[in-house]
Amino acid sequence: MYQFLLTSRYLTSRIIPVLAVAAVALCVALVIVVVSVMTGFLDMVRDSGRTLMGDVVISYPVVGIPWYDDLIEEIEALPEAAAAAPLVDTIGVLRMPYPEGAGKEPKMVQIWGVDPGRFAKVTTYADTLMWPTIPEAARYYVARDRLYGPVAKSLDRQQKIAILRASGYEDTTSMSDGQVADLATALTQPEWIDHLRTVVLNSPDVIRKTLREDQLETIQSAVEAEIENDFDLEDNYREDGLTMRRNGQPGMVAGIHVSDANYRDSEGQYKIGRNGHWWLPRFQGALTTIPVDASGGTLEPETEVLPFLNEFSSGVFPVDESRVMLPIEVAQRLMHLDEAEIVDDLDPTKVVGVEPARATMILVRGQPGVEPLALRERVREAYRAFVTRVEEAHPDGPRPPREGINFGLNVLTWEEQNAAFIGPVEKERALMRTLFSIVYVVCAALVLAIFWAIVYEKTRDIGILRSIGASRPGIVWIFMLYGLVVGVVGAFFGLLLGWLVTSNVNGIHDMLAEPPEWLAWGLAVATAIMFFWTVIKLFGGRILPVVLGVMGTLVLGVFTTLIFLLDAQGGLVIWDPAVYYFTEVPNDIDVPEAIITMIGAVIFSLVGAAIPAARAADIDPVRALRYE
Amino acid sequence: MSESSPLLEARNLYKTYRMGTVDVPVLRGSSIHMEPGEWVAILGASGSGKSTLLHLLGGLDTPDSGEIRFKGELISSHVRGARNRYRNRDVGFVFQFYHLLPELNVLENTLLPGLVGAGIRGDRKRARELLEAFGLDHRLTHRPRELSGGERQRVAIARALLNGPEILLADEPTGNLDAETGQEILDLLKREHEAGLGIMMVTHDRSIAALADRTVVLQQGQVVPDESPVSH
Ligand SMILES: Nc1ncnc2c1ncn2[C@@H]1O[C@H](COP(=O)(O)OP(=O)(O)OP(=O)(O)O)[C@@H](O)[C@H]1O
Ligand SMILES: [Mg+2]
Repeated sequence: MYQFLLTSRYLTSRIIPVLAVAAVALCVALVIVVVSVMTGFLDMVRDSGRTLMGDVVISYPVVGIPWYDDLIEEIEALPEAAAAAPLVDTIGVLRMPYPEGAGKEPKMVQIWGVDPGRFAKVTTYADTLMWPTIPEAARYYVARDRLYGPVAKSLDRQQKIAILRASGYEDTTSMSDGQVADLATALTQPEWIDHLRTVVLNSPDVIRKTLREDQLETIQSAVEAEIENDFDLEDNYREDGLTMRRNGQPGMVAGIHVSDANYRDSEGQYKIGRNGHWWLPRFQGALTTIPVDASGGTLEPETEVLPFLNEFSSGVFPVDESRVMLPIEVAQRLMHLDEAEIVDDLDPTKVVGVEPARATMILVRGQPGVEPLALRERVREAYRAFVTRVEEAHPDGPRPPREGINFGLNVLTWEEQNAAFIGPVEKERALMRTLFSIVYVVCAALVLAIFWAIVYEKTRDIGILRSIGASRPGIVWIFMLYGLVVGVVGAFFGLLLGWLVTSNVNGIHDMLAEPPEWLAWGLAVATAIMFFWTVIKLFGGRILPVVLGVMGTLVLGVFTTLIFLLDAQGGLVIWDPAVYYFTEVPNDIDVPEAIITMIGAVIFSLVGAAIPAARAADIDPVRALRYE
Repeated sequence: MSESSPLLEARNLYKTYRMGTVDVPVLRGSSIHMEPGEWVAILGASGSGKSTLLHLLGGLDTPDSGEIRFKGELISSHVRGARNRYRNRDVGFVFQFYHLLPELNVLENTLLPGLVGAGIRGDRKRARELLEAFGLDHRLTHRPRELSGGERQRVAIARALLNGPEILLADEPTGNLDAETGQEILDLLKREHEAGLGIMMVTHDRSIAALADRTVVLQQGQVVPDESPVSH
């Protein structure tokens, strides 16, 4: 068929069809990128419910629900429920290990006291743990912590003063011993290790005079190990994170953005401040809360100093930025929600009853395939049964909150809790879909315009073909086939482009947020080259290269300026995690939507091609052939 | 179809072009005929309607009235499909401006009527033979713009002859060529004519018309025999 021959030649020997393919590809890529990101965003919103909270949540804030173990038993007996977990949710102030020295930064955090085992069954907590092992950057510091740690810990007051003075710690020269000792208490263990090490390496005399025999021995072997670089770093940070304990002692697991020393580089990798020095699990933090009594009055603040065991990354920015998780008993202690004996008012030695421990939330995960709404109904029933049961078993004890009386009590699905957030996103996506179907019309219009031009240009060819016997349908077929090829090729390039953009969307975004130097300078060099090329062409006597050169120089120049401006302004953050909730832009292609988009592009390319094709068939061959 | 009926015969053709509101009558009862293997030259002043007549004879256009018969069959009232087939198989056009497709190479241009007609691949062997006979075998993969005018016209003739038509309709085939190159083309036509090809050729030039078996003149929309003295 001559149509194939002509289509392939028309495609490969001209610029115009390349424009048509590019137009279709851009349209397809645009729709794929936008819809994929929107769909991915909605999916992430939905998934994050399960990741973070399970399917249904019972909540009674501040005061909490007593006898919650009975409630969990009741819920876990439901065939629809897979698991349930208690939780104490409150807020507090966390003193971070940074900066160096006195004046550590405090930070407002959300505290989640959980039962790690049960919590991991309801959520995907285990998958969110950030450090399965020590990150490469932090290994050196962790090794040093272990080598010098025992000595640093065993320093007495006099030794601390001597070491601080000898380490060259800036302010100590004009201080009294008492002041230095005060400063010493503010320093973290890793900081002590730093100072101790500095003195060991630089002032051996001071060390020999200051340390005891056993301490000197430990230091000796530490130095030897460090010189041999023989860091034997067995670790169980993951295990610590899962159990929320280290060596049996409770600790904290902080969201990845709680520590402001963590940041993401332009490749999307997490980086730890000061080359690994500020790796949070090296440190401990002090957590302070203000407990509240049953009637809402505040009590004395409580403080717990806990080691950081690990960090977690849920991908939900507000959570990763503010949440700290720890064992539920610690949180209960911090909020006075733990089990306590009730003593007689007149005789405090006489125990009259037990105040049960409380949980402010119960997270429930449904069995696979169970609708959250159905699960919610069953959980409500279980809750009522639990209230009856508790009231019978403990007629004098505290009563659990009841529906219709305690309005703070809620049993809601995760989606209901976040309806105000999810609803608008869904509407936005529907709106985007509608708006972007206009892109198809644009696509068809572009193909139409470009094909119109091609048909105009090919008028004589059409006359020739008719003169050698080509029929009018035959001519129509040339351009329909041409449109089909343009549509299909464009759709595939669009898919490729859309896929490239979508799967690298985070890198592109980070690049915009922090334009790399090479891009700016590369563009500047390209602009300069373009400029000189234009100047040279100025003497060439032809206008087109000069016009193209001037335009190219302008476009490149504008881009260069923009990048430098962006750099100066600290980058362009479109996907602000604080607004969009997630730290990563969704980067999965929405496959069904992509297929529909591609088919749509092909159909609309054919629609666009049909009109010029019909015109081509109507060309009068005699007129087409008459003149050169 | 009787023995004596001509290969191609046109009777009483009328064709009027409309320019705005003005009617331009071009053909007013023209009649022409040619026998198998005959070479007929059509002379006439510029604008007299020579090309128009040739287009009608080739089935590229339809007359307002009158009839055209090929081997006794009525072309002018053919259904479209049949007229396409007639253009593809029974006649071959050659134009003053060669009219090759610029994106196709020499071989593909020559092959085109074969592809349009039936074949998926066309008759490559015949195309090569024709081009070889016309001295173009070293040009097969060249694009038309890489060829001289004479070479282009030879490709155009090869294309016209690919499907083995009985009539070649040539509209001033040498009109755009210098005398020497034009002569080469005419020699080529003469060879084909001697091999049995019927030629209907439009020309301005009496000396070219002299090569034909018979010369007619188109004037005032009518075809009349050439009455001027012929120099043989
Ligand atoms: N499509 C058209 N619309 C209006 N007039 C036309 C059209 N085509 C041809 N004509 C007119 O018809 C007349 C005959 O044209 P034609 O091309 O057949 O003449 P010709 O004898 O081939 O002339 P030439 O020797 O210059 O090629 C001319 O006057 C021309 O202007
Ligand atoms: Mg003419």
